[in-house]
Amino acid sequence: MRTFLLLPLCMAFLLFARCAREVIIDLPEVAPKIVAVCHFTEGQHFRANITLSQPVNVGDDPDQPDAVDATLAINGAFYDVLYRVKGEGNTYYWRSHQQKLAQTGVDYSFVVRVPGYPTVQATSRIPLHQPIDPVVIKAGDVVVESLPDGSKELRIPLELRLNQLPASERYFAFNLTHDTEVYESFSPPVLDYSKEQLPTNFLADGRTISLLHNIPEPVVLIDEKYWADDRRALYLIARIPYNPQTDRPRRMYITWRTLSKEFYRYHLSLSRQGANLPLNEPDAVFNNMAGGLGNFSGYSVRIDTVDIPGF
Amino acid sequence: MTLRIVSLCLFFSVQNLLCLWAQSPLAQTVDFTCINCLPADALVQLSRVSGVTIAFSDRFFEQCPPVTIRANGEPIKRVLELVSGCSKVAFKQVGNQIVFYRRVQKRTLSGFVEDAETGERLIGASIKVLTEDNVGVSSNEFGFFSVKLPEGDHSLLGTYVGYRPERMEVSINTDRIIHVKLTTNTKLQEVVIPAYSAQEEKDRKSGSPTYLNMNALRKIPMPGGETDLLRLAALEPGIQTGTDGLGGLHVRGGNADQNLFLLDDVPVYSPSHALGLFSIFNPAMVSSVRLWKGDFPARYGGRASSVLDVRTREGNMNRYKAQVSTGLFASSAVVEGPIVKGKGSFLLGGRFTYFEPWVQFFSSKGNLLTFSGDAVRYKFYDSNLKLNYTLSDKDRLYGSIYYGGDLFKNNFGQAYSDVKGYITDRSVLATDWGNSIAALRWNHLMRENLFTNTTLRYSRFFYQSRLGFSSDILYPDGKTFQLSNYGQLYQTLIRDWSWKTDFTFYVSKSLTLRWGVAYTTHNFQPGALSANFLQSGQFQGNVDSLASILLNNEQLNAVEAEAYCDAEWDLAPHLRLEAGVHGSVFQVKSANYRVAQPRLRLRYSGEKGWSEWLGFHKTAQNLHQIGTFNISLPFELWVPSTRKVPPEKVWQLSAGAGFKHPKWRFQAELYDKKFERVLTFISAGDALFTGGAVDASGWEDRIAIGTGKSRGLEIMVEKTAGKTTGSLVYTLASSNRRFADINSGRTFPLRYDRTHDLKLCLHRHIFKWLEADLVWGIATGNPITLTGVKFRHESVEGEVEREVFFYTEVNGYRLPNYHRLDLALNGRFNTGRIAHEIQLGVYNAYNRANPFYLYVDAGSRIKGNAIQFTLLPLLPVFRYEIKF
Repeated sequence: MRTFLLLPLCMAFLLFARCAREVIIDLPEVAPKIVAVCHFTEGQHFRANITLSQPVNVGDDPDQPDAVDATLAINGAFYDVLYRVKGEGNTYYWRSHQQKLAQTGVDYSFVVRVPGYPTVQATSRIPLHQPIDPVVIKAGDVVVESLPDGSKELRIPLELRLNQLPASERYFAFNLTHDTEVYESFSPPVLDYSKEQLPTNFLADGRTISLLHNIPEPVVLIDEKYWADDRRALYLIARIPYNPQTDRPRRMYITWRTLSKEFYRYHLSLSRQGANLPLNEPDAVFNNMAGGLGNFSGYSVRIDTVDIPGF
Repeated sequence: MTLRIVSLCLFFSVQNLLCLWAQSPLAQTVDFTCINCLPADALVQLSRVSGVTIAFSDRFFEQCPPVTIRANGEPIKRVLELVSGCSKVAFKQVGNQIVFYRRVQKRTLSGFVEDAETGERLIGASIKVLTEDNVGVSSNEFGFFSVKLPEGDHSLLGTYVGYRPERMEVSINTDRIIHVKLTTNTKLQEVVIPAYSAQEEKDRKSGSPTYLNMNALRKIPMPGGETDLLRLAALEPGIQTGTDGLGGLHVRGGNADQNLFLLDDVPVYSPSHALGLFSIFNPAMVSSVRLWKGDFPARYGGRASSVLDVRTREGNMNRYKAQVSTGLFASSAVVEGPIVKGKGSFLLGGRFTYFEPWVQFFSSKGNLLTFSGDAVRYKFYDSNLKLNYTLSDKDRLYGSIYYGGDLFKNNFGQAYSDVKGYITDRSVLATDWGNSIAALRWNHLMRENLFTNTTLRYSRFFYQSRLGFSSDILYPDGKTFQLSNYGQLYQTLIRDWSWKTDFTFYVSKSLTLRWGVAYTTHNFQPGALSANFLQSGQFQGNVDSLASILLNNEQLNAVEAEAYCDAEWDLAPHLRLEAGVHGSVFQVKSANYRVAQPRLRLRYSGEKGWSEWLGFHKTAQNLHQIGTFNISLPFELWVPSTRKVPPEKVWQLSAGAGFKHPKWRFQAELYDKKFERVLTFISAGDALFTGGAVDASGWEDRIAIGTGKSRGLEIMVEKTAGKTTGSLVYTLASSNRRFADINSGRTFPLRYDRTHDLKLCLHRHIFKWLEADLVWGIATGNPITLTGVKFRHESVEGEVEREVFFYTEVNGYRLPNYHRLDLALNGRFNTGRIAHEIQLGVYNAYNRANPFYLYVDAGSRIKGNAIQFTLLPLLPVFRYEIKF
């Protein structure tokens, strides 16, 4: 009988026991490594961010090593040594010299040496640019949507068609921006100011959207699977909101990048990282900086300007 | 030249045969006349005339009239035929003699094994023919058996676990159908009888299938006292689950979607509630459960790793009965009774939960179930109905329906003052998912040894999730303005209609053939996530407007035709061959896949309790649940094979040996499994937020196709009789995956790979009315992808920057070991006609904080540490059940 009295008491205790908890687990310390990130394109200087990796839980800005020896080579022959430039705040970056601009089709090697750390090195090149056909916006295709707050939105169909679809290495990225002029009055027209290079949102079918990746570059990465079945064009509907009382969207800028494999794989792996959220399914980050972390990769870029008709 | 030699050889061979024939007493010619002779006298005279010894018994010809024979130069064989034509005898040459023997006519004895009280048909019951050596059969999924026996009187013994053995005398002069009625053994036994039926015993010798012990199911401790089939299945060797059951079953390294769950022969797409913590199978409804771990016979198809075949009870045909059970999380009730006494019955069951106090309690602790912990509601429910009606001795109709689902809702709201005004944030997350299943079945006995079953099946699984967030500001002047509005809607649906006919042909006592065909139409709505982030002045795409996107969503229709042929053949007294082939044709849009799946199993059962077996099985599946490579949840999308998504294929080679002692059993099995093609979903959640999707297509291009390997050794020691019974199960295994698109193409361990896994179950009879159960398990921790390092990526002009977390290889870190002890006391007693059962115990008795996942919190600023989340701590177990 005593047993039967004890059991409900035990159960009552258990009901109030703490049911979920967080347990701190010690992880092995990971020694900091040199991190070098350098994306380069034709006619531009090489510019590298060189920092040290840090434990995930550290919230401060990453440390930057002082004694950095960052050099570039072409086909194994010395090309340039990067020098340190002060950036925003207390940050620095490393840049190539005045005449040392990146060129297409050349294999560049990048080596970073910091005393006390393993030497870091990587190789990449700027791929041959694969252009898109000139984008044409037809006035008849542009739709104006009224929004509930009284503003309007332009819906502009865009076809970004590759001039030639390469047989392999279909690594591309794009970006859309637009200029909007703001008027004090329309009759007579008195221009107040211009809002330039505003980011342009877009709509697309589900397949397209699912194969576009947001990356930490001012472009949207296109998954190489998008070009399956010899698909050559990307169809988007640009969305440009504006105030009909004051605004006139004027032109769009279409940025088109052809990417090296190193650029593409690095950013694709970043897009599959999530944001270190619980239960996410991260993929291993692509890393071509042997001996350290980061990415050294080239790309080519062209920007087309298209006037928005009807305004 | 060669032709000449062959011709010459043939000539001599034929000549030799003719010479041998000519020398045969049967071929010898004779002149013989006998007018109005009794056959026995005629044979004596013939023997005298021909000089050939003829052996026979006078009794063979007792019923025969006199015969008149006139033979001039006829072969003796012809004369003997004339003499013995009146009787059921035959003769043969033995040496230089001719011997007569009684020609035995074989007849088919078939029938059904039934519960004498309820009329329910018993699956896997044994019928042993005592008058014949080594002749015995088992009843099939519908209680049917068939055996060929010589004409005459026979003595049968019917046995079934939990029932009194029943002996019956049967006289067979023609093909017969009988009903073997067994009575339950209601006497409480102090000494435990073996827990398996004869068919189970037979199958356990060969290692497959595994019969889940329904008696154990009610006794082993489970969270809240909620008995659960899948948790019981997870105690078998080679079966892994995620922590505390979350993440589905993973059989020998297979994915969770590679298990075929059948409820009364209808596929179930989502077999669990509460993200896998509880299964949808109401234990009070279940009659039998069989589990095949990849080595399933050809009659099963559609999944690549395992089959869990759940059959529900039929209901009492003679009287009304009820069973009510209540636990800490849920209550269930089952009623049953006759529709027409002795002809038909119904079985109606329901289960509902009262989880909310628990969820509130968990959420107040910041548990995974809720994240935010505000106004959380969760419940699940099940309902079952089964009807059956006996049309005739040869025909029976069954109808069954299941409907169940889960509902989860989390409302969150907060208001705060800002410099501009008073801001109100609201969010709501509402999800619901569930299954609808129906079957209409017709059992028909075409001949005494040919059983058919035709089923019309319907199965539907849906999932819907709606997430909304809005933020409004109230200005000091009283005006309000919407700051943001966020909407996200996710829907997925799969709906099947199918027709299936199975034939079972009991050819002889050593050969049973099964064959069948099935035709299924699948309707898919693989609704991917649709979302829009809206700020003031932008396109208004709240949840309702997103619904229209999903309405326009691509719907896929697929048809699948299947056929199989399966043979169970006793090649020799101890050697059994199970061989078959399953073929399927799957068509969706422009894709057409034909897959042939051979299945082979050879078993040798020695006389001293030893048995060995060898199996080779190929399996394939055309439907896929596209979970990610890291965690699988029960409500992920089901999609068909398409031109871009080919069928998954798996090859399994297994070999095992077992030893059976009256009180002990030992079994060891090795397996090697090759996943020729395996699929996973590549997540890239951020892609959806760069713009807006105008439909939900594109899932095909986010699927990665890879390969996998799994191999292992499973050992089981089981004590099956005595006051203390139980099992000790150990698995040594390794499972991995390889995808070109993941982990830079390198092989990585499966998320549910556990190198070592040890499970101990003990059951002890303390008193007649009291039993104790213990379950303890210890296993290697699951692999997980973990980060410890980060760096910062900044674009050239500094427009964009992101913290980059540098992870280990995919699943490159092992969680701490998993171990847990569960204890329970099970008591039972009767008051009048009411039987009571009560279970008290604890789940996770020593409150082991088993890791569900590790999370390195970038915001915690705790250097070098990770936070471990635990799902189920120490929990009470309580269940009270009455039957009347």
